[in-house]
Amino acid sequence: MPTITLTNLTKRYDGNTEPSVDQVSLTVEDGEFMCLLGPSGCGKTTILRMIAGIEHSTSGEIAVDNLVVDSVHQSCFIPPEQRRIGLVFQNYALWPHMTVERNVDFGLRLQNVPAQERKARCLDVMSKLRILEYADRYPSQLSGGQQQRVALARMLAVNPGVLLLDEPLSNLDATLRLEMRAELRRLHQTFGTTIIFVSHDQWEAMTLANTIAVMNKGQLQQIGTPDEIYAEPSNRFVAEFIGNPKINIVDLKAATTEHVSLANHIQSRISANEFTSVCAIRPEEIVLNNTATPHTLPMIIENIMPTGGSWVIELSFGEDRLFHSTQSRPAWREGEPVNVLLPMQSLHFFDHNGKRLVLPESDLDYSHLLLRSNPTHTNQPYAKQA
Amino acid sequence: MTTLLNAAEQKKPNLWRRARHSFAVARHEPANLIGLVLAIFFAYLILAPVLSILVDSFIVQSGDEARTHQDEGSFTLYYIVRTLFSRISEILLWQPLYNTLAIAAGTVVFSMTIGVALAWLVNRTNMAGRAWFATALIVPFMLPTWTFALAWTTIFKNRTVGGQPGWLESLGITTSNSVAYGYFPIVFILVLHYTPLVILIVGNALRRLDSQMEDSARVLGAPSRVIAFSIVLPLIRPALMSAALLIFADCIGEFAVPYILGLPVRYDTLATGLYRALDTRQNGVAAVIAGVIMIIGVITLLIDVRMMKEARRFVTVGGKGNMDRLRKLGRMRLPASGLAGAFVFIGVVLPLLTLFLSTIMILPGRFNLENFTFDYWIGSNLDTVALRNGILLTPEFWQAAWNTIVIVGSSSMISGVLGLLVGYAVLRCSFKGVGSFLRQITFLPYLVPGIAFAAAFLSLFAVARGPIPALYGTPAILIIALVASKMPFASRSGIAAMTQLGKEPEEAARIAGANWFSRMTKIIIPIQAGPLATGILLPFISGIKGVSLFIILAIPSTDVLTTYSLRLLDYNYDQAANAVVLMIALIAWLGTVLIQKISGTGLAQGLEN
Repeated sequence: MPTITLTNLTKRYDGNTEPSVDQVSLTVEDGEFMCLLGPSGCGKTTILRMIAGIEHSTSGEIAVDNLVVDSVHQSCFIPPEQRRIGLVFQNYALWPHMTVERNVDFGLRLQNVPAQERKARCLDVMSKLRILEYADRYPSQLSGGQQQRVALARMLAVNPGVLLLDEPLSNLDATLRLEMRAELRRLHQTFGTTIIFVSHDQWEAMTLANTIAVMNKGQLQQIGTPDEIYAEPSNRFVAEFIGNPKINIVDLKAATTEHVSLANHIQSRISANEFTSVCAIRPEEIVLNNTATPHTLPMIIENIMPTGGSWVIELSFGEDRLFHSTQSRPAWREGEPVNVLLPMQSLHFFDHNGKRLVLPESDLDYSHLLLRSNPTHTNQPYAKQA
Repeated sequence: MTTLLNAAEQKKPNLWRRARHSFAVARHEPANLIGLVLAIFFAYLILAPVLSILVDSFIVQSGDEARTHQDEGSFTLYYIVRTLFSRISEILLWQPLYNTLAIAAGTVVFSMTIGVALAWLVNRTNMAGRAWFATALIVPFMLPTWTFALAWTTIFKNRTVGGQPGWLESLGITTSNSVAYGYFPIVFILVLHYTPLVILIVGNALRRLDSQMEDSARVLGAPSRVIAFSIVLPLIRPALMSAALLIFADCIGEFAVPYILGLPVRYDTLATGLYRALDTRQNGVAAVIAGVIMIIGVITLLIDVRMMKEARRFVTVGGKGNMDRLRKLGRMRLPASGLAGAFVFIGVVLPLLTLFLSTIMILPGRFNLENFTFDYWIGSNLDTVALRNGILLTPEFWQAAWNTIVIVGSSSMISGVLGLLVGYAVLRCSFKGVGSFLRQITFLPYLVPGIAFAAAFLSLFAVARGPIPALYGTPAILIIALVASKMPFASRSGIAAMTQLGKEPEEAARIAGANWFSRMTKIIIPIQAGPLATGILLPFISGIKGVSLFIILAIPSTDVLTTYSLRLLDYNYDQAANAVVLMIALIAWLGTVLIQKISGTGLAQGLEN
């Protein structure tokens, strides 16, 4: 099973000043289930298409199992039909003039697989993907989810070492998404294929992939497990892109002496650092409290939005707004005052370029660590600790 | 350090490496080769004739040495001066130009007025017999224009021209020249022919209009008159404009109608003037006139392109554009149908009936029983000088019919396949220049009316040039000319079909491991079978109706049905000529029905292209 290596991969379309893919280097290990995650237009699909060979690179190199398949430097390009990499298109690209079965066995026919074996492999793949009963139908007679399974079966039938999926869940409705998600997980286990998929949806990425590569504007931002990326975003973009509701951002440069603001509050708790430009905190890490402590801020509950099983609460502190999310029913009503704690270990800091800053321990005011005795952030009053 | 250097080098590979890489990529993309071959092919087939005729207007033509006091082939401004500024320029160019523009303008104004009204009735009201009229109103567009011209002369012909008199004349009613020939009947007939086009284009626009836009205005309290003039009309304006320009351009090149109805009273248009110049061996003058026609075509197209650009600004994506709500006409319901019915009667029933009756009457305009006979269809041993058998028993007729099928059929097939290949090459070719060159050059014949194009072909292929032998008088020149003249339609529908198909089905096949040949034969062509069939049949229909190309390029041995009927007309075998015309109309109609069978929706969309 192959390893895919991208080295300084760059794609520049004619007429675009900015490259669509800019110096991306990454390695996809054998058997990995990787997601290229990023907003639309960030170049993730282009990378997928370059790996498949439908697009070619402008510079850099793609190697599959140490065999270079596309490199300007070596003037080498292997066309998609010789790469044996599977690609499932976002809108499936089934051939409308062929039945499901013909779609699935097309690749095997091209390889001159004997009829009997072909039939057997087709049946096997179709039954694994539960589309056997539609074998004689045409793609237009199938639902979106069924079409996608046919597109998957078409690729899996030829047993490619690598499977590329373009936005695999985006065209499906909510129930089908859950179903297909389980299906893909199962496929990854049964076939043991390396899978790379592209998504703009963090839910899709988080729930499916073992590894996530976050992209923006053609550049790779961060690679890591879903947990790593959530807990330690390497820059402001990743922090803001991942997480729902969005991470709260406090611009520390806006700190003034004139009126109280969140920026002032946070500045007062860290020793001044000229590089520190932005502070961020995840909504669920904010702690609401009934009683005031030295580090809490008096805020007003502006808005309580139930989202089914959880709540998003909008808080105001002077001009500033914060969003808090919680799994337990809020004990306050809109318009009521509340004391808010921003735990120091939950604060992320970024410099003026958006890069993550790790502040030295000495710079942080750890007095709030008293609170650590209460690991879950509930709405329970912290009065005792104070 | 080395890695740094390596990275820097990788970032900007040198030109040679990049070129070799591009070649490695392009090697696996046969569309590049196809694109290049097609580009060269069309450069010779389309660009060369057009250029050659433009050059012809500046060099001394054979036989004009004495007039110009120069050697044949040397540079001269004689033709330009003669056509544009000399004492006879009034007859050669300016009067025909004025006539042409007057005809085009008149046709546009009247067909737009009638067409928009009928389109509205058919698409937006509860007029009686709406569904039936939706089809019936289109029929005049399927008939060749000169069908109407022949029917007109059958009824209104007067003593100005010899031969058999018109019906009114034989009934004792003298028709004046202004009714029988010239501006009035030409515009009348062209309006009949082009009104269906307006109905199609405007009707489609009306149907595509998002009803929510009108609803929003209605909710705000706008009366229907305001909605019509400040919402609907501005939104369909692009469609109106494109219909008007299309008709204008077509009228400029119209040859057959002015040939039949203008010539007897010396009412010349540019197209007939060009024909007359060629006929009298004034090739240089003909080249200048052809150039003028092309310039008008280019101007029209530039206006069209510009308006399309403007129109794109307010293209809205109307997802639920279904207009099911119809305007209740109330008491006007039947009169409205009467109006549409009158159009169908004048545009379809009357001309066809007239032509048919004329083919079974010995003497025109005498409606008593012994005057009727089927001899002109199936008679034999008639007491005429030539054509002693009915048309269906005449070998020349079948020869012409066979020629039509072979020449028009093969050229339609060639242009259909070429169109698909052009579409493929334009969308897949890695070199952008080749793609846009192909797109533009295949569209060029659209600017050049058939008669000018035929003249261009004559000028280029009449003599042997390089490896190409002299083609005049062979079916080959007709086939090539037809292919070239049908390319605007063929390439546009090819490009449209390939755009609609998108790249993905083929990319999926590549991923599955298919080489180019299997991709073409197993994926592209099977999927495109429907569009391809339409792309062949539509040019076939317009090809058998066409006159202008044939009248210049055909000789008696390569007679097709159209030229055969015009020849019969010239020899005053009116009944036989009209019978041939009816057969052409029949073939055209059958072909259209066939297209509808194949493509299901075909007709309206197909003709709009």
